Amino acid sequence: MNQLRIIQLEKKFEDRKKDENPVFSLKPVHLTIKEGEFFSLLGPSGCGKTTLLKLLAGLEQADQGEIWIGETEITNVPPESRNFAMVFQQPLLFPHMNIEDNIAFGLKMKKVKRAERIERAREMLGHVGLKGYGQRFPDELSGGQQQRAALARALVSDPRVLLMDEPFSALDPSLREEMRILLSRIHQEFGTTVVFVTHDREEAFHLSDRIGVMSDGNLLQVAGAKELYEKPASIQVASFLGLKNILKGSAGKFGMENRSQQVELADSRKSSMTHLIIHPEKLQLSTDLEKQSTAEEIIFEGIVKQLRFNHGFYLCTVQTENTLLECSISSRQAETVSIGQKVKLSAQLKGLHFVSR
Amino acid sequence: MKRQRLLANTFLFIFLLMFIVLPFVPLVLSSFSYNWKWPNVLPEIFSLSAWKYVLFDNSGTWQAIGTSLLIAFIVTAINIILAVPAANALVRYPLKGRWLFEAIIFAPIVIPAFVAVLGIHLTFLRFGLTETIFGVVLAHLSPTLPYVVRAAMTSYNTLSIDWEDQARMLGAGPLSRFYHVVLPHLLPGIAAGASLSILISLSQYLITFIIGSGQVMTLPILLFPFISGGDPAIASAYSLVFAGMAVAALLILDLALKRYYKKKQAAASKGVRE
Repeated sequence: MNQLRIIQLEKKFEDRKKDENPVFSLKPVHLTIKEGEFFSLLGPSGCGKTTLLKLLAGLEQADQGEIWIGETEITNVPPESRNFAMVFQQPLLFPHMNIEDNIAFGLKMKKVKRAERIERAREMLGHVGLKGYGQRFPDELSGGQQQRAALARALVSDPRVLLMDEPFSALDPSLREEMRILLSRIHQEFGTTVVFVTHDREEAFHLSDRIGVMSDGNLLQVAGAKELYEKPASIQVASFLGLKNILKGSAGKFGMENRSQQVELADSRKSSMTHLIIHPEKLQLSTDLEKQSTAEEIIFEGIVKQLRFNHGFYLCTVQTENTLLECSISSRQAETVSIGQKVKLSAQLKGLHFVSR
Repeated sequence: MKRQRLLANTFLFIFLLMFIVLPFVPLVLSSFSYNWKWPNVLPEIFSLSAWKYVLFDNSGTWQAIGTSLLIAFIVTAINIILAVPAANALVRYPLKGRWLFEAIIFAPIVIPAFVAVLGIHLTFLRFGLTETIFGVVLAHLSPTLPYVVRAAMTSYNTLSIDWEDQARMLGAGPLSRFYHVVLPHLLPGIAAGASLSILISLSQYLITFIIGSGQVMTLPILLFPFISGGDPAIASAYSLVFAGMAVAALLILDLALKRYYKKKQAAASKGVRE
């Protein structure tokens, strides 16, 4: 198994003027990435995800910790000998070489014969949808095409791990979508292990098998997209993922002042959990004002403040006693409610997720 | 629009004519004259004797041209070898007291070269470097190096470290990285710096005179006595030879550069046939 193991990897950046406290530090990261996995590092800018990627690449030296690939330790192996590939935010195609030579560059460094180099480069061009572009020079290609060529260049020498540092963030949205689909397909075709850095939640969710959420140099949670969304481990993860309806609570009580609109936690988690997350799609909107909370269901009362159309469904914002709740409803249901109307929102207690700070 | 362009072109033409072509006219006339004196507007007697002396008599012109070019090209080669790593370090590394290093390297631009050369002369005397081409080459480095370093630094400034990182990730070691990625980027800058270095080295008089002690005969050494009181016709002929030599040196450099790019392009288009 050629899994990528990261053992307590750590890095501090000192401020050159003040030697005392580091400006930024990557807290010890412990992580195993499986062979063939598509792993994303997701986090706001400055959270350390690019630093972690550069440590993996070897472009930065770690202060502590080890990196293993399979049974080989590569912590001190220079980047040019790791047989990793990297796609940067900019395509970085060498301007004095044509596309074919650019793609074949890695093979040239491996001393592959020219005829074979060119053949493999051409084949790879086909894979990224740039057939026939080999003779052009980088400045004759559009931004998206350049990034495709960069991807082909990274893949052609059959790297053990493909590292990608926000590769699509400089492209416009429709191109980004296209590149995502292309990358997804290529990952399936080649089965390369990919470590992908991004600050774009949608991108990470779309592409990844697993996602590591980072913030302030900490790796907060590692999970699949679905689990991250449904069960974020902390309030930080939840807020970075942009989850709605996060209700603060105390002493095991969450929700409104009004007891009937309160969720109570009686078990051992009571003291550690501080927030309750109700996903918008778990809230049912109803105009039947007679509904009351039961043992399985909690009911919130409120007034419709806003209706917002969002990709085929509506997001309805409801002002309750002391907070705004969002719930998603179908277009057909949206026709039955109007702004200012009194409604009730119900949620199954089973589906609720509690988090600690 | 079109008229403005025409006007600008006309002005440019007149400007070039007045400041570059016109000064050559009396020079050419003088070189073909014999005993051309005030108040004659044009020489009364034309003669080929000055050119005959410069080109054919045993005046050492050809050897001086050879020595001048040899020194200029060696100086420039050493400059490039010194300047590229220096520029790399000055631009890339967070050096403490960086300004001091820069000040030392760029000092010869501000401080007249012969100030330093007087000191250097003593040292060179001790090491037996005076009266040798090698000594003159070393002395020529100080006024020329700043320009090459400056040019290389400008090139390095526009080369993001990402390019080299990208090459590293593709498996390129330090030498491959320099040859395939850094050098092509630096080349235009190096060419600019090298042209300056060649021109400055070719036109050195005082330094060559002091260090070479009259034994290293470059063209300016040969030319100077005629300007400061010898035969003006011969001085004019030498001046023209000097200008020709400088232009030729630059053309050679230009040609070499063009050949390099052509080779690159040929290598690139070779892929088509394969």
